[in-house]
Amino acid sequence: MFLMLALSSKAQQKTITGKVTDKDNFPLAGATVQAKGSSETTVTAEDGNFTLELPASIQAIIISYVGYNDREVPLGSSTTINVSLEPGARSMEDVVVVGYGSRRKSDLTGAVGSVRASQLQERPPSSLNQAIAGRVPGVQVNTNSGRPGGQTNVRIRGFSSINTSNNPLYIIDGVALPQGTQNENSNAIDYINPSDIASVEILKDASATAIYGARGANGVVLITTKRGSKTGGRITYDMDMSIPTIGPKRVEMLNAKEYIEVENLAYDNIKVYDPAGWAAGNYATLQDPREKRKNLPLLFDSEGNPLYDTDWLKESTQNKLSQNHQLGFTGGNADNSYGIFLGFRDDNGLLLNSYMTRYSGRFVIDSKIKSWLKVGGSVSYNNQEENLVDRGTGGLNSVRMITEAFPFLPVRYPDGTYAENYHYPGAEGGSNPVHILNDRKFLMNTQTALGDVHVNINLAKGLEFRSQAGVNVVTRGFREYNGRTLDQISRSQNGTAFVGNNRETFWSSENYFTYTAKPGADHDLVAMVGLSWQETNIFNISASSQNFSTDFFQYNNIGAGSQQNPGGSGAARFSFNSYFGRINYTFRNKYLLTVTGRADGSSRFGESNKYTFFPSAALAWRVSEEDFLSNSSVISNLKLRGSYGFTGNSEIPAYQSLENLGTYAGIINDSRVTGVGIGRLANPDLKWEKTAQADLGLELGLWGNRVTLEADVYYRKTTDMLLDAPVPRTSGRATVRRNIGSMENKGLELSLNTVNISTADFSWNSSFNISFNRNKVLSLATSAPIFGVGNPGFTNQTGIIRVGDPVGSFWGLVRLGTWSDKEAAEAAAFNSYRGGKPILPGDIKYLDVNGDKIINDEDRMIIGNGNPDAWGAFFNSFRYKDFELVVELQYSIGNDVLNMTKHSGEDRVGIANSYKTVLNAWTPTNQNTPIAAIRDTRAGYVTNVDTRWVEDGSFLRGRNLLLAYNFPSQVTEKLHLSRLRIFGSVQNFFLATKYTGNDPEVTTYGHPFAQGQTFFDYPKPTVYTFGINASL
Amino acid sequence: MQTNIKFKNIFILLVLPVVVATGCKKFVDETDPSNLTPDSYYTVPEHATAAIASAYAQTRFIGGGAGIFVQNFQMLEAVTGTVKTETGQNSDYNNLLGLAFNGENELINNWWNGLYNVIAQVNLVLDKVPGINPMEEDLKKRILGEAYFLRAWAYFYLVQLWGDVPLITTPQSTSSPDFYPSRTGMDAVYDQIVNDLKTAEASGLAWTDASGRASMGAVKSLLAKVYLTMAGYPLQKGNEYYRLAAEKALEIIDSHEFSLFPNYGDLHNPTLENRGEHIFQIQYLVGVADNPMQGVLLPNFKDISKYGTEVGSIVPTNSFYNSFETGDRRKIDRVGFFYTHYYEQGDGALKDLSAPYIYKHFDSLAHGTAGKEGTGNSSLNWPQIRYAETLLIYAEAQNEADGAPNAAAINALKTVRDRAGLTTPGTFTQDAFRQAVWRERWYELCFENITWFDMVRLRKVFNESTKGFDDFIGHQFADNSAVLAEKHLLFPLPTSEMRNNPNLTPQNPGYL
Repeated sequence: MFLMLALSSKAQQKTITGKVTDKDNFPLAGATVQAKGSSETTVTAEDGNFTLELPASIQAIIISYVGYNDREVPLGSSTTINVSLEPGARSMEDVVVVGYGSRRKSDLTGAVGSVRASQLQERPPSSLNQAIAGRVPGVQVNTNSGRPGGQTNVRIRGFSSINTSNNPLYIIDGVALPQGTQNENSNAIDYINPSDIASVEILKDASATAIYGARGANGVVLITTKRGSKTGGRITYDMDMSIPTIGPKRVEMLNAKEYIEVENLAYDNIKVYDPAGWAAGNYATLQDPREKRKNLPLLFDSEGNPLYDTDWLKESTQNKLSQNHQLGFTGGNADNSYGIFLGFRDDNGLLLNSYMTRYSGRFVIDSKIKSWLKVGGSVSYNNQEENLVDRGTGGLNSVRMITEAFPFLPVRYPDGTYAENYHYPGAEGGSNPVHILNDRKFLMNTQTALGDVHVNINLAKGLEFRSQAGVNVVTRGFREYNGRTLDQISRSQNGTAFVGNNRETFWSSENYFTYTAKPGADHDLVAMVGLSWQETNIFNISASSQNFSTDFFQYNNIGAGSQQNPGGSGAARFSFNSYFGRINYTFRNKYLLTVTGRADGSSRFGESNKYTFFPSAALAWRVSEEDFLSNSSVISNLKLRGSYGFTGNSEIPAYQSLENLGTYAGIINDSRVTGVGIGRLANPDLKWEKTAQADLGLELGLWGNRVTLEADVYYRKTTDMLLDAPVPRTSGRATVRRNIGSMENKGLELSLNTVNISTADFSWNSSFNISFNRNKVLSLATSAPIFGVGNPGFTNQTGIIRVGDPVGSFWGLVRLGTWSDKEAAEAAAFNSYRGGKPILPGDIKYLDVNGDKIINDEDRMIIGNGNPDAWGAFFNSFRYKDFELVVELQYSIGNDVLNMTKHSGEDRVGIANSYKTVLNAWTPTNQNTPIAAIRDTRAGYVTNVDTRWVEDGSFLRGRNLLLAYNFPSQVTEKLHLSRLRIFGSVQNFFLATKYTGNDPEVTTYGHPFAQGQTFFDYPKPTVYTFGINASL
Repeated sequence: MQTNIKFKNIFILLVLPVVVATGCKKFVDETDPSNLTPDSYYTVPEHATAAIASAYAQTRFIGGGAGIFVQNFQMLEAVTGTVKTETGQNSDYNNLLGLAFNGENELINNWWNGLYNVIAQVNLVLDKVPGINPMEEDLKKRILGEAYFLRAWAYFYLVQLWGDVPLITTPQSTSSPDFYPSRTGMDAVYDQIVNDLKTAEASGLAWTDASGRASMGAVKSLLAKVYLTMAGYPLQKGNEYYRLAAEKALEIIDSHEFSLFPNYGDLHNPTLENRGEHIFQIQYLVGVADNPMQGVLLPNFKDISKYGTEVGSIVPTNSFYNSFETGDRRKIDRVGFFYTHYYEQGDGALKDLSAPYIYKHFDSLAHGTAGKEGTGNSSLNWPQIRYAETLLIYAEAQNEADGAPNAAAINALKTVRDRAGLTTPGTFTQDAFRQAVWRERWYELCFENITWFDMVRLRKVFNESTKGFDDFIGHQFADNSAVLAEKHLLFPLPTSEMRNNPNLTPQNPGYL
C-alpha cells in the first residue's frame, strides 16, 4: 500500500540551529523547540543547543521549557537562533514521548506524566525509581529499605493483579526491560544508570498504555536516554559526594541497666505466671539472673553490675563517604551526532559493609546518512555489585540483632573475639550485629548489556518507516558466604557458601510505519501501524556447600566445604508476537481523537488462547481554543479528555498451562535417589489477565498558565486475574494456575503547579500533587478468602485476600489490652492461649468475637492495610539571582504498618533485648497498659498478630533540601566552562510520624501486598550530599 | 507513481524478512526444557524406581514445619496429655495442646495435605508402572507392592484422623470425575486399606529391607495394626478382627526376622536404622533432607547442643514422666526415653536441666556428646513401626480374641518389660492383662505418634495418677486441665479444603 505513495522532494527543507538559555545565559537542557504550525520538534541538549530541520515554509519556531514562558521566534534569513527564556508559567508545549512516537503535550488524549532530566538531577539518586518518586500523581514509589539502591516498589494506579507482577513495564529507547522475572527485591530498572536518562514518561491510562497491550496493565514507564550533541563537542562532568547518618527516627531499646531490671522481674514473675511449674522445680536450673551475672566476669563485676552499655545501632553503622562521578562526551553536527557517557558510583550504606558500586558506559550515535535515511544506535554496559547485608528476614539476621543484642555485651571481648547473645546463659542466642555484618556476605553482581540499532526511512511525504532491533542481556551472579561462627546462621554448619548465576537474554524487533497528513486545513492525522517480536531466554545455575575448616575461602571455593549440596539448574523461554496500530486525529486543533489497538500473542498461555486484542480509544477537547474562551484573561488553557480501553498482564512464569512432573529427593539406603512424580496440573485454557480502564482528565491553566492544574479520575477493573487457585488437596496438588477473579481500583490524581513569585531576581514556584486510590477484590475462585499470597505467615497468616476488601489487608486479632486483677475470673474462664497455662491478670486480652472463650482463627479479622488513603509530594523551588533552593516534601496518609518486630521487642522478654516500651508493661500498679506483664518466656507468654502491632504509618518526610549556586557566565567564561554549578543537599532531613519503628515506608517482604509489613528493616539514613555540575 | 529505487531495495531488505517471519507460528509455542511431562516419562524400569522414590519422599511431611517452632508430628502428641511446650509462639500448636483446635489449624491441614500427597504419588506409580515394558516382572511386582503398602499407610492415618474420607485411587487431573470428591464411608476405606495390604503381601517383598524400603515385615505389621484398630472403635468389629490381628502379629514374631534392641539407645543410633527392632522408618539424610525434629525436641535455650535453635516446643509433662514405675529403665537419664542432664553446648560439662526431655529421638551425633562436638545436622530416621509394638499388638489381640492371655502373649509383654528391667507376673486375668498391655503401650510407644490412636480406638486414656484408664470423654489432662470431649474422637476436616471442595461435607460433629 505504502509503495503507492509518492516520495516527495527533499529540497524544501531547512535547518535551524541555536541555543536556549535563561536570562543569565544558563543553558536550558530539555527545552522543546517546535516548528510553528507543524509537527517538527526537537529538544535541546545538555548545553542548551538544538538543531531542527523543518519545511522551508515554516515562519516561526516556538520554544518552551518547564517553569518558563513560551517564546515564539520568527524565522528570518538566519539559520542560527539563540533564545533566552523568562521564568514564568508552566508550558503546555512540551513534547512527550508516547509508545512508538511522540506528541506535543497539548495534543495528548491520555494520562501521561513526565519527569525531566533537570528534575532528576535535584537529588542524584542511585536508581530511577527513587528519582521519579513523588514526581507524578498516581505513581506510588515506596522505598522500603535504607540500603543503597533502595528496594523500591512501584505501583501505577494501584494493583492490577493478585498473583502476578504488579511492576510497570519499563521501555528504554524502545527496548523493553524484564518485567516480572527478577527477585531479591529489585528490578531490572535498578541496574540502569539514572544519569543516562534525559526524560521519563509514565503512561497511566488505557489510551496511553494499550499500545503495549498485554504488558501494559501495570502502566508503562518510557525512558529516553541522553543523545549526542548536534552543535560541536561538549564535555560534561557531574559529581557528588555523600555521607549517610542515622536517620531522623530510630527505635529505642533497653539499655544495660534497664535490661537487667527487666530480666530480674521476668525471673521473679515465673512463680506468678507458672506457679505449678515453679513448684515442680522446672526452673531449678534457670539461675536467678542476679546470681548468674556474678559468675560472668567478662560482662559483669562481682556485684553483677554491667561493664558495658552498647548502643548496637551506633556500632552497626558507618558514616562512610560515597561518591558518584558522571562524565559525558558529546559531539557532532546537524546530521551526525554521538555521545560517550561514563559513570562510576560507589555508595556506602549506613550499615557496616553495606555497599553498591556501579560502573557504567554508554555509547550512542545518530546519523542522517541520506536525506531519507537516518540510522542510530546505542550500546550500554552496567556492572553493579551490591552487598545485601540485611538478608535473612525472620532469622537472627543483622538488622534484627541490632535490636535484640544485649546492651551489656561489648562488640568484642578484650581478647578480640566477638561477644554474642548465646554466651549469656538462658538467652535465645544469636550473634552480635557487628559480627554478622562482618562475616556474612551476600553479593549480587548484575551486569546489564543493553543495545539497540534503529533505522528511520522516509518513504514518502509524511510516511516514515522505523525498524528497531534491541538486545538486553542481564546476568546476575550471586555469591554468599556465612562465616563459621555466626550463631543460628551458620555456626551449626561450620560455614555455608552459595553461588548462583542467572542469565536472562532478551531480544526484540519492532517495526512500524508512521503516516502524518493534513488532509485539509481543519484536519490533522497521524497513523501508525507495526509489528513486533520479542523473545526471552533464561538460564540459571547454582551450587552450595557447607562445613568449612576455615573462613578463608568464602564463596570462592565451594569445593572446600566438606558437605556438598546438590547443585541446580533451570531454563525457560517465553516469547511475544504482536501487531499494533494507532490513529491520532485532530479536528480544528480543538477536538482530538486517539484510537489504539494491539494484538498480542504470548507463549505463556494455553494452546487455545495465545492471541488477544487490546483496543482503546480516547477523546479530548481543548476548550480554551473555542471562541468563547480564546480571549479569556483568566483561563489560558482548558482541556477535557476521556479514555477507555483494555490492557493485559502476562507476567506469570513460563509453562504454567502445561502439565509437568516434579522432581523429588528420595532417600534409599542412606543415599539420594532422584524421584519423579506429581507436578503441576495442566490448564490448556489459560489466558491473559485483562484490565479495562476508564479515565477522565482535566487540564487547566490560569493567568497565562501561572497556575496549572491537572486532574484525573479513573476506574480500572481487572478480570480473568491470573492466580494459583487452590484446588482440593485430595488431588495431590495445591493449586492450578487459572484465570479467576476480578478486582477494581478507582482513584483521583491531582497536581497543581503555581508560579508564586516571578521577578527578575527572585522566583518561587510550587508544585503539589496528591493521589487517592481505592482497591477492592470483586470476586475470587472460591468463596474462600486467600491466605498466604504475598504475605508472610508469622505466628499466623498475616494477610488476607477477600472479596469486598482491598488487597494488602492485614489479618489478626484485636488486642483489647491486658487483663486486670478485677477481671481475673473472666480471664480464667478462657481456654488457654499461652501454651496450656491459665490466663491470668497481666496476660494479653483479646477480643473474643464469637464469645466462645477460645481465641482462634474465628476471632481474627482485617485489622489494617498497608496502602495509603492518599499520598503525594510538595515541591517548592526558589531562585534568587544565582542561587536556587529546592524543598521537597513527601507525604502519605492512612497507610498502616504491621510492625511485627513487637513480637520479639515487646511480647517476649528476658531472652534477648526488648524495646524500651516494655518499661510500661503490666504490673499490679500499672494495669491499664497494652503490654503484658513481664515474665520469663518459659513461664508462658502470648504473642499473636494483633492490633497492637498495627500502627498508623502516616508520615510527612523532608525528602530533599537542596541549595545550589550557579556560577554566572562572567566566571564560567573565565574558566572556559559553559556551565558550573555547585550544590549541597540533605535527603530525608526530617520525618514526622506517629510510627514507633525506624521508618513507616517499609516492607521486609518483597511482595507489594506485604507493603507495611516489617520484621526488622534496614534503617533509612539521612544523607548529606555535596556536588558539582560542570560543562565544557 | 514515482518511487525511489534505492529506497525500494533497502526496504525489501529490511521489511521482507519481517513479513516472512510472520508466517512462523511456532514462535509463540512452548516446551519446558527443565521439566518432564507424564506422557514422555515412565517408559523404562528406572522410571519406576524414580516414581516410588517420590512417594517415599512425600512421607517426610510428618517432619515438615507448621509455622514457627513446630513440626507436624507434634500434632499427634499435643492432644495426648503426655507433652507440653516451653515456648508459646505457635497459636495453632497452643490450640492443640489446649484442645481448642478447629479446621483452620495448620497442623491439621498439613496432615491432610501430606497424606493425600503420598496417595497422589502412589496412584501415579500404580497407574504408570504396570505399563512399563519390558521390565523384570519381579521388580515390577515389588515396586507395586511398596506402592500398595504406602497407600494403605496413608489411608490408615486418614481414616483414623477424620473417619469418612475421600477415597482416591487414580491419578487426578482437573477433569477427573473425583477431582471434587465427597467422603467415602469408613468401611470402604478400611476395605481398601486391607486389600492394598493383602496385595502388597503377595508381591514378593523380602522380610526385611535395610535400605529403608517397605518390607514384608512392614506390610504384615501394618496389617496387624489395621486389624487391631478395626476390632476397636469406631468399627468395633470385635473378636474376629482381634484374632486376625493376633495371627498377623504372630507371623512376624514367628519369622524371627526381628528382635528388640538390647539397649534403648539403639533406637536412636543412626547405625542401626531400618533393621533389628525397626520394621519401618521414615528416612532422613543430611544434605538431602535433614531430620527436622531435633531442634524442637531440645530444651528451650539451654545451650546443650551444637544446634543453634533449641526450641523446647515438645517436652514431656511431669505427670507422665513421673508415672513410670520405679526402676523402669526407660526413665533413666540418657539411658531410656528421657534425659534430665546433658553436656554444655553438646560436648562440654554435664549440666542439670532440672526437667525431663525426650531422649527417644535424640541424635547425639548431631548434638554432640561427651568429648565429641556435634555435627549440627541429623540423618536420624523417624520410627513408624517397631517390633516392640508388634509384640504388644499380639499380646493385646490374643488376650481379646481368646478371652485370656496365653503364654506367648504373656511372653510378648514380658519381652518388652524385661528390657525395661521390670518384672512380669506369670499369670494374668483377662482384664489385668488388658490393662497391663495398654499401660505398656503408653510407656513403651510414647512420643511415636501411636498413643493418640490408642486413645481413640480404645476410647480410654491413661490416668497418670491412678495408673488406670479413664474414659476418653471427660478425661482431663493433668498438665493443663484441658478436657477431652466426644468431638475429639475425630479431627475437624480442614476448613480450606471444605471451601475448595463443596462436595466435602459434612464437617465432623462438634466442629464449625
